[in-house]
Amino acid sequence: MPLNIDWQQILLHWMNFVILAGGLYFLLYKPVKQFMAKREAYYQELDQQVQEKLSQAEELKTQYQVKLDVAEEEIHQARVKAQQDIQKSTQDQLDQAQVQARQIISKAQEEAEATRERLRKDSQRELREMAAKAAKKLAFRRGTDPFDQFLDLAEGGGADEKR
Amino acid sequence: MRQHKKGLALWLLAILLLLAGALLTGSPGRLESVQEAMRDAVLHDVNQIGLLGGKAVNPGLISAFTVTAVLLVFALCVRVFVIPRFQYIPGKFQLLLEEWVGLFDGMAKSNSPHRHGFLGVYLFSVGTYIFVGTLFELLGLQAITVHGHPVTLPAPLSDVNGAIAMGCLSYLVILSGGIAGNGLGGVGKTLKEFSLPISMSFRLFGALLSGLLVTELVYYFVSLSFVLPVIVGVLFTLLHALIQSYVLTMLTALYYGEVSEVPHKPKKRRGQKISASAASL
Repeated sequence: MPLNIDWQQILLHWMNFVILAGGLYFLLYKPVKQFMAKREAYYQELDQQVQEKLSQAEELKTQYQVKLDVAEEEIHQARVKAQQDIQKSTQDQLDQAQVQARQIISKAQEEAEATRERLRKDSQRELREMAAKAAKKLAFRRGTDPFDQFLDLAEGGGADEKR
Repeated sequence: MRQHKKGLALWLLAILLLLAGALLTGSPGRLESVQEAMRDAVLHDVNQIGLLGGKAVNPGLISAFTVTAVLLVFALCVRVFVIPRFQYIPGKFQLLLEEWVGLFDGMAKSNSPHRHGFLGVYLFSVGTYIFVGTLFELLGLQAITVHGHPVTLPAPLSDVNGAIAMGCLSYLVILSGGIAGNGLGGVGKTLKEFSLPISMSFRLFGALLSGLLVTELVYYFVSLSFVLPVIVGVLFTLLHALIQSYVLTMLTALYYGEVSEVPHKPKKRRGQKISASAASL
């Protein structure tokens, strides 16, 4: 054969390579690939766990966000209600104060009226007493006994009429 | 500082003594001319080695067996002592092994995404074989020929039989991919590239033989045997090992992916067919 090509040696080369390929496959290629696949699966599992935890965290976040929104809404409603209550309470107190004020005013007016009536009566009574006293004074200023005066008046009525 | 100077002087003295010794001793005489050495490097028709005391074979075949033995022993040691201690966070050697396996596995996946199981194994084996086999010539292991002369074992693929074996085997692997992927159509696709086994075989043979010839030439003359072999022997061999491993595996992966790819025929929908026929009417 040209170039010293020998089919027997070519077959021996093939046999040699088949032995080498089989040996390398079982001793090196397969175990290393298995290990790499195992590590890849391990990290994929880790990644999956992380993703699951992340999704759970996202879900929790959403839930808490919903709760926060509800709480904020409740707070807003409570605030509005409180403001309304405060306004109502203020209005009630104002109304009550106005009623009380009217009552106080009317009572004061009544009391003033009563006081005025009492003072009027007292003053009338005092006037009567003063008139009586004055009359008594006038009567006892002449130094005579009223009975005598009466009698004088009864007897000398004519005299007086003469006078 | 003084000790350093002393060491340097001793080193230079040793070099000079060895050089003088080598030049004064002389060589035992050339057994063959440069033409004969070149011819034998190509044809291996003189310096053959008895295989187990039987048939005389080319030194390349002995190199191939040696490389296989070395690789299998290495792989066995790795399997027994290293792989069971693999960590999820790899060390340097583990990283090297994973990268080496991943390189060929990734090459198979990227070039033949639909069918790459066997291809990955083949590429890994052939890439490792070519790389280590090419570096093997750096060891300069000696063997005795059938004529009783010592001969340095060359790279396995610098033997034309080894190169043809590897090229034809790669072609057969490509053919097997075509059959597995497309049946007879795959065979047709593969046979279209009928020049592939020849080109792959002789590319390997030529590339490795050229390195061998240059090395033979350099070592043939004593005056060229200083300093120059560091570049010719080591750097060129390293480059050869890398380039030839990459070229053959890449070509095999490319052609394997091409012939094993299942063609996609677009399915015509019934409605479209009816409307098309209505339009033609």
